[in-house]
Amino acid sequence: MVAEGGRRVLAAINPAAAAAGLAPGMPLADALSFLPGLATVPADPAADSMALTRLAEWCGRYSPWTAPDETDGVKIEITGSAHLWGGEAALAADLARRLARQNIAHRIAIASTLGAAWALARYAAVDNQPALPAPQDERAALAPLPVEALRLDPETVQGLRRVGLRRIGELYPMPRDALARRFGVNGLNGVAHRLDQAFGDLPEPLSPLGETPSRRVRLSFAEPIADPADLTRAIARLVEDLTARLAREGMGARRLDLGFHRIDGRVEHIRIGTARPSRDPRHLAGLFTAKLDTVDPGLGIEDMILAVFAVERLPPEQAELAGSNPKTAAHDMASLLDRLGNRFGLDAISRIEPRQSHIPERASVNVSVERQTGTTSTPSPPPGAERVGVRWGIPECSPTSPPHPPIAGAMGPSLSSLRGGEGFSRGSVSKPPRPVRLFRPPEPVEASWLVPDNPPVQFTWRRRLHRVVRADGPERIAEEWWTEEGSREADAIRDYYRVEDSEGRRFWLFRAGLAQSEPPPRWFVHGLFA
Amino acid sequence: MSQTARLAALRDRIRQIEQPARHGVLPFAVAAIDSVLPGGGLALGAVHEILGTGGDEEDGAAAAGFAAGILARLCPHPPAAGAAGPPSPAVRERVKTDGAPITFSRTAGEGARGRSPRAGEGLVLWCLKRPDLYGPGLMAHGFDPARLVLVSAPRDEEILWAMEEGLRLPGLAAVVGEVGRLPMVASRRLQLAAERSGVTALVLRRWRNGEEAMAERERPSAALTRWRVASLPSRDELKLRDDPRLRHSIGRPRWRVELLRCRGGVPAQWVVESGDVEVADATGHVCLSAALADRPAAAPNQKPGRREAGGLDAEPWRRRAG
Repeated sequence: MVAEGGRRVLAAINPAAAAAGLAPGMPLADALSFLPGLATVPADPAADSMALTRLAEWCGRYSPWTAPDETDGVKIEITGSAHLWGGEAALAADLARRLARQNIAHRIAIASTLGAAWALARYAAVDNQPALPAPQDERAALAPLPVEALRLDPETVQGLRRVGLRRIGELYPMPRDALARRFGVNGLNGVAHRLDQAFGDLPEPLSPLGETPSRRVRLSFAEPIADPADLTRAIARLVEDLTARLAREGMGARRLDLGFHRIDGRVEHIRIGTARPSRDPRHLAGLFTAKLDTVDPGLGIEDMILAVFAVERLPPEQAELAGSNPKTAAHDMASLLDRLGNRFGLDAISRIEPRQSHIPERASVNVSVERQTGTTSTPSPPPGAERVGVRWGIPECSPTSPPHPPIAGAMGPSLSSLRGGEGFSRGSVSKPPRPVRLFRPPEPVEASWLVPDNPPVQFTWRRRLHRVVRADGPERIAEEWWTEEGSREADAIRDYYRVEDSEGRRFWLFRAGLAQSEPPPRWFVHGLFA
Repeated sequence: MSQTARLAALRDRIRQIEQPARHGVLPFAVAAIDSVLPGGGLALGAVHEILGTGGDEEDGAAAAGFAAGILARLCPHPPAAGAAGPPSPAVRERVKTDGAPITFSRTAGEGARGRSPRAGEGLVLWCLKRPDLYGPGLMAHGFDPARLVLVSAPRDEEILWAMEEGLRLPGLAAVVGEVGRLPMVASRRLQLAAERSGVTALVLRRWRNGEEAMAERERPSAALTRWRVASLPSRDELKLRDDPRLRHSIGRPRWRVELLRCRGGVPAQWVVESGDVEVADATGHVCLSAALADRPAAAPNQKPGRREAGGLDAEPWRRRAG
């Protein structure tokens, strides 16, 4: 039952209601006059569509190419997979049996085109009697069906009926260009177009549910299995089948999906990714079994389908060397990253990459191994930026200078530079020291100072008071106004101080904003020195 | 047999049984420290704990700096077994006497002479809760952050799991983990994995708060050594004392390094001064503070003793009792 234009109408009915003369689209008031005891529930199209998608996914046991069809059907491309079931009739029988077990009323048709199958399933097939015309009989099988079976919109159907064309067969003798002229105006829904699709004169690609795997291995069980040990054995077999195939092709898998088809029609998945192409059965099986506890087998699993979505070329010598040979070090590293990544997520694994930036937190960034590209960098300052930089106390920094060493030499009017070479004995450019730990974001502290331009005399950080005994600085670091990120920040100028407290711990403090400005500047601890 | 000779023989036997240096050692190249460590350096293929002090027990900054200095000179182990070319003399010697507790030093100099892989090469897996390591800062301690693979995991158990996975991989130079709790069983598992693969593990203890620190600080573990590193206040440098502008500027980093536990060794402590953190320390070396004798930073229960050690004006203060 669904609300439509202020009235409540029937959206779908069961066989008993149909027998009583009800039909979808009938107003509820009329329906109740036929059947006063009619039980109704509100329609839930979203849940229906989800259930249909789930059903389409479950049908993945027959073929990788499945998709829900409008609101009431599932299309399955079985070209090339019917023989695995002993022919189309046997496949249809298996499908019918399994659907019946799930209490799903169904009508099945198999035809050589999507259009023909659509028509046959809806207008020729009856319950428990699939429509399976031989390819050469399809034309004849479609002829007695009403023109609606061609997937036409209601106006076109009305138009055809007005000129007395009620059955598909009556369209066969019509001149095609006349049909196209008269009823072909609405493009894809045109009669001629639909006819061509039904007879395979026009291709109609099936867009499958989700991504289509490039390789698939399936394992069916006579008795549903649920025991983890059985599942582990099944995984090992599937993976061996797959890796044998990959080895023949000289390929390695990058992205895999293992589907567990439960007897209640639900499908559970384990998805894994690998950092490098792999066809090592032990490694891949290990990745799957590590995640096996995320799979709820329900009452049992009747099929397992291992699908590969991404492969890459993998020469034999790279894959087959094993053990601690140093040549396989990269390979071992990749499998370690896979194990870690599949437990913590690839996001949790990162490398530290240097960037060309004055801003400390941007000069060294953690890049997840997943996103790592190796050549990314923050935008360089535009021509002329260097001069502005000098005004703010940043020395010249050529935008073309190499990215390493990672610290863009940014030496402010610091006392450190005066220390008679002490601490900077080697290297032409003196760099103020950088901390080993950096807080992102910087942590605010309560600081008290005597002279606005000086470092604080003491500060409270994490509820602990630190008395400043020594300090170096300031090193002024100005915002990179030429980056999009930079222009958004309010505290464009930071004066950094290296301070040592009475215990000897060394902090990297900075003052955000100018010393004499209003509101008063705020202090942050940005990092810790070892 | 004199009593000392018998003691030495016994000590050797114990060392053989324990085999703390089965995979060789990494000397600190500071005689005063290396002489205390069994085998003359930090045992490779073993677990070492590093602690902080005071507030740094939570932040682990000094521990990270100390670890970076060690990592800077570590490389994958065993070095290139089966790689092209004849093994270097040191490798050959090790192979010949495999199983016997022979030790040889793998210093930066040796690595530079063409051993493969060289010291300071190979990836380091560093597992921690929040990736707060800063590349330029690590670089300053001689450790190239490009060698790092960081793994962030929210809980100690997960970090220990990741460490153990890493320790199974002989191709890694080292595995570092930052954990609060290190249960005995977990540390033993790490130690076994490290012994098997020859990969060295550093466990930086980082406690959330004072209570956790209190509960964990003294808890034993299966690690071969336990170190505590504390930053010390800067020394007043004579040449700077006269310049009023520089009187309060910060000097070179100085650490008090304590060897709290050492299997087959004696606890000791030293004051080390990072030679030149910004540049020269690119070798990861530390040197003992030259002014050590003038300004002992020893805890009250320790008695300064003085002896010439390797030309350095320094000697560890050993604890009087245990």
